[in-house]
Amino acid sequence: MKATTQDVVTKRSGADGRVPALRLTGLHKAFGANIAVNHVDLAVPQGSFFGLVGPNGAGKTTALSMAVGLLRPDEGRSEVFGVDVWDDPVQARALMGVLPDGLAMPERLTGRELLTFIGQLRGIEPAVLAERTQELLDVMELNDAETTLVVDYSTGMRKKIGLATALLHGPRLLVLDEPFEAVDPVSTAALKAILVRFVESGRSVVLSSHVMPLVEQLCDTVAIMTRGRVVAAGPLAEVRGEQTLEQTFVRLVGGDELAGRGLSWLAS
Amino acid sequence: MAGVLIRMKLAIIRNSMTGGKAAWMVTGGIFGLLFATATIWLTFVDIARPGLLGDLLACVWAMWLLGWVIGPLWGGSAVLRADHFALLSVPRRKLAVGLLGAAFVGITTAVTALAFLSLITYAAHLGVVAALIAVPAAAGELVFVVLLSRVAYALLGFVATSRIGAAITGVLFAAMIVLAQSGWMIIVAIIYSDVLSTGFSSTFSTTLRWIPSSWGLVAVDAAGHGDWPLVLGALAGLAVLIGLLLLIWAATLGTPRRSRVTIRGIGHAPVPTGGLFAGPTGAVFRKELRTWWRDPLRTTTATVPIAWALLTALLPLTFGEKVLLPWAGPAVALFAITSAGNLYSQDGTALWQTITTGAQHADVRGRQWAYLAVFGPISIALSIGFNIWSGYTWAWPWIAATLPALLGGGAGMIIYASVAAMVPGPDAHKRPDNPLERADTTGQSQVLFWAGLIPAAPALTAVLLGDQFDLPVLRWAGGPISLATGVALAWWLGSVASRRLTAKGAEMLHLMHTGRNTAAGRAAASGGTRIELSKRDSAILGLCLPGGSILLFPQGLLPLVFVLTGVDVKSWFLAMYLPREWGLPVAGVSILIGIFLYSQAILITVRNKKIRAQREATMARDRDAARRPSAAR
Repeated sequence: MKATTQDVVTKRSGADGRVPALRLTGLHKAFGANIAVNHVDLAVPQGSFFGLVGPNGAGKTTALSMAVGLLRPDEGRSEVFGVDVWDDPVQARALMGVLPDGLAMPERLTGRELLTFIGQLRGIEPAVLAERTQELLDVMELNDAETTLVVDYSTGMRKKIGLATALLHGPRLLVLDEPFEAVDPVSTAALKAILVRFVESGRSVVLSSHVMPLVEQLCDTVAIMTRGRVVAAGPLAEVRGEQTLEQTFVRLVGGDELAGRGLSWLAS
Repeated sequence: MAGVLIRMKLAIIRNSMTGGKAAWMVTGGIFGLLFATATIWLTFVDIARPGLLGDLLACVWAMWLLGWVIGPLWGGSAVLRADHFALLSVPRRKLAVGLLGAAFVGITTAVTALAFLSLITYAAHLGVVAALIAVPAAAGELVFVVLLSRVAYALLGFVATSRIGAAITGVLFAAMIVLAQSGWMIIVAIIYSDVLSTGFSSTFSTTLRWIPSSWGLVAVDAAGHGDWPLVLGALAGLAVLIGLLLLIWAATLGTPRRSRVTIRGIGHAPVPTGGLFAGPTGAVFRKELRTWWRDPLRTTTATVPIAWALLTALLPLTFGEKVLLPWAGPAVALFAITSAGNLYSQDGTALWQTITTGAQHADVRGRQWAYLAVFGPISIALSIGFNIWSGYTWAWPWIAATLPALLGGGAGMIIYASVAAMVPGPDAHKRPDNPLERADTTGQSQVLFWAGLIPAAPALTAVLLGDQFDLPVLRWAGGPISLATGVALAWWLGSVASRRLTAKGAEMLHLMHTGRNTAAGRAAASGGTRIELSKRDSAILGLCLPGGSILLFPQGLLPLVFVLTGVDVKSWFLAMYLPREWGLPVAGVSILIGIFLYSQAILITVRNKKIRAQREATMARDRDAARRPSAAR
């Protein structure tokens, strides 16, 4: 009999229930001479809404790809509720749902077909699957696009169907790379509501973003990454102190001295 | 404008002259020069029948035209694409003229210009005036073919976004391959017919002269016998045509990003999950069938083998031979292997879904079943139908010994090649407007074509022995042996592929994520580890591959078969012009040299892979060394 994800979480959590939902230890990745992620340590507490922020090219996507098992790290480990993502991938993947940024899907399927086949691959009972698929399509407002293939989806729709595949099997942890990029305000509100409810039910979310106000509004824990390193991490209030998150971010990341100077020929 | 664009194009070509590309350019250039020289040589051949030389020249020019129209299918998009300049404030027509100027800079144009000198040498027979007329006529024809090529590519790219267009592309592609491989059959057909002594029918030569590639010839011929209105008419016609094409081309340049032809899914119906295809493998199978049906790229992938097999099997009918008919079915099964050997790349980074659901095994098996469902029925039907048509009852055991092994072995090989030798291509939702741009799998396809024959070897040996010793049991044992080989290979290669996909999935995903960049982008992504073939190696590779295939097949194996079976076709088979006792050794030596050249090409490729791996390992060590002091700190 296969252990349910809840069993795994309970068993691994021990008495105090404090094993992190996601723990990265010394995660490192270099592409040639360019070090994308430099020995990163990070712990995402259970039940937290965790925001990973950083400028473009900070290594957020690389770190998250390694964390979920889509990119092999040069060094270090990633554990989901204490399950090593690279040693026991099957167990770890049952515990989490993933939304990478900018990757393809099985493109020649409709949203409903995609969810159904992914559900079958996850081994979900047909009746349960049909119900969940319908509910996800309703909530994500993808019902109007019933005959549209994923390849013809807009960027926002792709984010939504991707999130739907990540939620389908009822994971304990969601790892989302730039989930709100190119999503319109109305859909953003809907997605936010889903994620807030998800965390309220005791589950955990990790998301990366460079939209500070959004992270400030949603997340209770944040980490700031720049040039492959984590420069600050902890509860939101601690990290930002008296300032806004954006001010803290600019201070830590260090704005370019040329920024704000403007262009000479457009000055007059 | 044109000057800037030409410098830009030269810079791009210089930056993308990588080993493989350079080898292909050299090879293409050499072959082009040969064809161009042959075209000029034709005008010096002494043909008694009046008008026949003109007809033949018009035929050859029509071939050049055809080459320009379908050639870009091989090479992919132009170096400079109009959408690169879409946002510049330059009028479309100015841009079109500029791009046209840049289009003339290239090996293909130079070679064609040389070939088109044949109009002048032809006209020289007719007098000085005709030769003078030939100069603008040949220049006009050159502009015409270059322009037509651009317009045809734009239009073909437009239709290829639909599935019918993709199927047409597949047929054209297959026709190109068949022409390259079996074009000699057409020469045989011409020699067998008595065209060379009686000339073409007048309808044929009139029709031929209506093709714009012949209009220069028409003008020159007319000048030869002083028909000035016709001279002017033909030249003016050419000029008008060029003007029209330029207008059309300018119009296609300005088109904003065309929306993809939308292919619709089935709506509002519950998606089947049960029945025969319940479970993960069934889910992948159903997903794959939908993809084969809906993805234009898959349509092409499926059309090419079928068209290739049909054309190859039917071509000998032009000289009344049915000998290839029984092999149409096995030919589909064989060519399907070369065509479908890059399945994972076709779906691009969608692989992350397979990894995160942990469905690698189901994915491999589902794809194998879908492959069999796509190519199995058609190859079986063609085998049975065409062999009944041919009436060769002796062929049945041979077909039974070939088809199951090729299908099963193919189902194993395509999935193994797709995993182990993946060539990254653009993701479906990021494919440019033109679906003709895709991963270049020429190398894999070459290997898979020959490797694909191996599964049939055991069963064919049994049939051969059965024939030799007249043992019907052995002859008919071919079928079961073939089936067993096919099943075993499909199962074994599938499980190897599935293990490899499980172990290397993340690396494949990374390759697809980053490897679809330009060469420069790849170099940047891998920290400049891009290592190219040395000039010497690429030159050797460029000579070995085509040289090897010419010596091994048309000059080696084919004449060998002809000599042994007593077929008397001379064509361009050197061995067939020699006395029988010399023919066999010459064919044999040809085969040996061909194999040697092929093995050299393979050795170079393997050696360079090794060098690359070594350098990458060294770089990794250097990185480690560089990191250690900082870790100690």
